[in-house]
Amino acid sequence: MPKRFDQARPFLTLGLVVAAWLIVPTVIKTFTRASFFELTAPVSVAASYARDLKEYWSLRLRSNSELIEAGRDLARLNASYDLAVQQNVEMQGEIARLEAILRLPSYTGYRSEHARVVRRDFSGWWQRLTIRKGKNFNFTVGSPVVFSGGVVGRVSEVFAYTATVDLISSQTVRLAAVVEGDIRPMSYQGGLNPTFGSAGGVIEFVPLDIFASANATKRLVTSGLGGVFPPGLTIGSVIKVEPSTDGLFKSGEVKLDDRLAALTEVTVLVPLESY
Amino acid sequence: MLRFSLIFLSTLLLWAVTAQLNHALAPWRLYVFVGALAVTLPALTFPLKTGLLASFFGGLLFDAVAPVSFGTHALLFALTHAVVFNFRDRVPRDDTLSRVVIALFANLGLFLIFSFTQVARSPAPASLWPRLFADLACSQICLALIAPWFFAIQARALALLADDTHRYA
Repeated sequence: MPKRFDQARPFLTLGLVVAAWLIVPTVIKTFTRASFFELTAPVSVAASYARDLKEYWSLRLRSNSELIEAGRDLARLNASYDLAVQQNVEMQGEIARLEAILRLPSYTGYRSEHARVVRRDFSGWWQRLTIRKGKNFNFTVGSPVVFSGGVVGRVSEVFAYTATVDLISSQTVRLAAVVEGDIRPMSYQGGLNPTFGSAGGVIEFVPLDIFASANATKRLVTSGLGGVFPPGLTIGSVIKVEPSTDGLFKSGEVKLDDRLAALTEVTVLVPLESY
Repeated sequence: MLRFSLIFLSTLLLWAVTAQLNHALAPWRLYVFVGALAVTLPALTFPLKTGLLASFFGGLLFDAVAPVSFGTHALLFALTHAVVFNFRDRVPRDDTLSRVVIALFANLGLFLIFSFTQVARSPAPASLWPRLFADLACSQICLALIAPWFFAIQARALALLADDTHRYA
């Protein structure tokens, strides 16, 4: 075999592999991808159960007095939540009455499903979570995911008993948002994730009369447009706005909640019609 | 086939270890990518077809858990394999230190090429590079630390199949 051909042999073989891969039907690729994911899922899930067990044993070391204090604090919290639930029921009744009178379309109903975080995958390229529930709990792609601080992200893939969530800090997430107290929508996109710093995103199409700075932040919330996220959920704080190059709008930066990076449990809002 | 399976299982182990490491590093917004480790030993010691397939399927494992077109990692791993295979007769490849150095260069190339494929999706690509360089530095340090252990595991596993331990060790 000529020496020159022998040197090119690895690249010719590579070319054949690339060509073969390009003609593989999408169905087979999709099936293979799901198979490979399910192959890795038990590893992540087992590790998350091991972490939960470790946490359980560390909690067992707490003294009785600490538990009594925690129980007392929890009882107070429950009392205030009971009151909030009563008010919520009253307000939902009021909304239903107004919708009936004005013949407005009703908001999408959601079922809340809590899920443990199995794996965090926060690279500069993407920001994702894997959670420990999936098709077995009727999760659907696109479902909003929230926590006590606001929006976490949305479900991007659903597997047999796990699901992946694209975080709002990920550049793959784009949604309509409004500044609290305003109704004009703007576009939010994640993607600013500095090392050792807070995650963030950018906003575009901000009306010219909205001002914000690091010292005078504005709360950015979901607009409800698009029908994926319910309105009013916190996205983050607008820390900077400046006129964009076209002069018609402003663009700016949003700082996200620092707790997003250390979440252990999230809530998936499963649309009721998909259930 | 058995050698291929062992390399694939070792890649699965590598993925599991780095996944747990990345889970722990997430609050500091650091990320470790050591994909080149899955390619280095097959490229340096295996026949072309077996090694290329092992690298390709290892890449598919990384693809399955990443939001990229299925096959992106696999094709990049296969490309890295072909490059390393091409010059393996011209570099020292029998001692661990040279394997680690080759893995470091391969990882550098993989990381940068992969970053270029992903950076266009960012709303602020310029602000992404400092983070990527920090991740790259972290990845290279981690790779240098775990590579001897990983190569030893691969060599021991392969030695179970054949009596030519010296070939991989």
